[in-house]
Amino acid sequence: MEIDVRDLPPPEPFINIMQALQTLPAEATLQVRIHREPFPLYDVLRGSGYAWQISALADGSFQIAIIHAR
Amino acid sequence: MTIASLSTDQSPPISFPFSFFALAPLFLVLATVMLALGEGNPFAETRTHAMLAATHCITLGFMTSVMFGAMQQILPVLVGSRMPAGRLVARLSLLTLLVGVLALCAGFILEQPTLLKLAWPLLGISFLIFISASLVSLARATARNDTWAALLLSLISLALTVTLGVLQARGYATGATLPYLELATAHIKFSLGGWVLLLIVGVSYQVVPMFQLTPSYPKWLTAVLAPALFAVLLSSAVLLLMEPYPHWIAVVTECLFWLLAASYATVTLKLQQQRRRRVPDATLSFFRLGMIALLLAALFSLIALFCPTTETYLRTLSVLVFLIGFALSAANGMLYKIIPFLIWFHLFRGGMKAGVPNMKQIIPEAWMWWHYRLQLGTLLAAICAPFWIVAAWAVMLGVLLQGLLLTTAVFTAIAVYRKNVRRIILAQA
Repeated sequence: MEIDVRDLPPPEPFINIMQALQTLPAEATLQVRIHREPFPLYDVLRGSGYAWQISALADGSFQIAIIHAR
Repeated sequence: MTIASLSTDQSPPISFPFSFFALAPLFLVLATVMLALGEGNPFAETRTHAMLAATHCITLGFMTSVMFGAMQQILPVLVGSRMPAGRLVARLSLLTLLVGVLALCAGFILEQPTLLKLAWPLLGISFLIFISASLVSLARATARNDTWAALLLSLISLALTVTLGVLQARGYATGATLPYLELATAHIKFSLGGWVLLLIVGVSYQVVPMFQLTPSYPKWLTAVLAPALFAVLLSSAVLLLMEPYPHWIAVVTECLFWLLAASYATVTLKLQQQRRRRVPDATLSFFRLGMIALLLAALFSLIALFCPTTETYLRTLSVLVFLIGFALSAANGMLYKIIPFLIWFHLFRGGMKAGVPNMKQIIPEAWMWWHYRLQLGTLLAAICAPFWIVAAWAVMLGVLLQGLLLTTAVFTAIAVYRKNVRRIILAQA
C-alpha cells in the first residue's frame, strides 16, 4: 500500500497517513512519501503499536515504511 | 493555566505553550499603557523612559512569551527533541518572566532603582532556566540541520542579550559607573538582530515551506545566513569594546548585517510567490508584511549611515518598523498558524475515533483578516509616528487593539479545545 503526501499542508499528511493505517492489513506495509521528516508522527505510531523505517531520498523528501509492530 | 490533556506521550502537554500564549498579548496592552504615560510624543526617540518600558513590554513580554511557548512545541517538531523537565521549566520561567517584566517596566516608567533591583535577578533566573533547557534539548536533537544551527545561535544571542541587559539594570540600580551607551548598543544588536531575527529565520526554514507550500529555502542561503548574521553581530559588538576604531569598519559591518537580513526577506518573498496553492491566507499575508517591513527597516538603517542630518529619525524609524512591522507580524502569523494546529493535533491524538473539528474552525479566518488589516494600519501609522502625534496615538490604539484581539483569539481556541475534550471523554466513556 502506498500514499504520497508531498505538497499537502499540515495537518493533511498526518490525517492521510492515519486514515491509511486504519485499513492496513496485518501483514502489509504502508509506504509513505513525504516532503519532510514528520517527528510528531513517531510518537503517535509508537503509541498505536506500529514500527517504521525512514529513508532520506536524494530529492530531499523521505520514504517511510510502516508496519504493525509484532 | 489548567487545561485538561488528552494524551500522555512524548509531546509536551498543551497547557505549557498555551500558558505563554495567553499571557503574551496582555503585554501589548501594557505596552500601550506605558506609551500613554510618557510625555509628548513617545516615538520621537527610542531612549525615553516610556519608550524603554514599552519596548521591553513588546520584546521581553510579548515576543519572549510567544517564543518561550513556541519553542517548547517547535523543538520536538522541527528537531525531534523535547525540553527536559517541561512542567518545571514552563512554570518557573513563566512566573519569573511575568514578575520580572512588570518590575522592569515599572522601574523604567517610575524611575525607581528598587524595582530594577527586583527585576534583574528574576529575569536572569527566567532566562537561565529557559536557555539551559533549550540548549539541553538542542544537544539531544536527532536532526542537526540549518534550523538547529539558527536556533542555537539565536539562543546564544539571547544569553548575550540577557547578560548585557542584567549588567545595565544592575548598574542603574546600584549607581555603578559602566559604559552604558556601548552596553545598550550591543544589547539592542543581540536582542533584535540576534535573538529575534535568528529565531524567525530558523523557524522560517521549516514553517514557510511546510505551512505555506513554497519550495524549500535554497541551500546556499540556509547554510550561510544564520552563521554570517551572528558573526557580523559579534564583530560589531567586539568593535564597541575597541573604541576608537575607524568609522568605515562600523559602516561595513552594519551594511553587511542589513544586506544579509534583506536577502532573507527577498528570498522569502520570492518563495511565497512560487507557492503551490495560490489561495488567500491571512497567516501568509502576515509573514509577507513582516518581510516587507524587514526590507524597510534595512532601507532606513542604510540611508541613516549616509545621511547624518536625519540619522536619529531614520534609526528610530528602523527600530519601530523592525519591531512593529517585522517582529510583530511574524509573531502574529506564527501564532495564528500554530494555535489552531496545536489544538487540532492534541484533539486528534486523543479523540481520533470520536471526530475532531476542522483546523480552520478553531479561529475564524475572518478574524485573522481583521487582525491583519489592523497590523497593516499600525505599521503605516508607526512610519509617521516619530514626527506626527496623531499617528503616535494611532500606533498606541493599534497595539492595544491587537493585544485584545489576540487575547480573544487565544481564549476562543482554548474554549474550543475544552468543549471538544469534554465531548471526546463522554464519547469514550
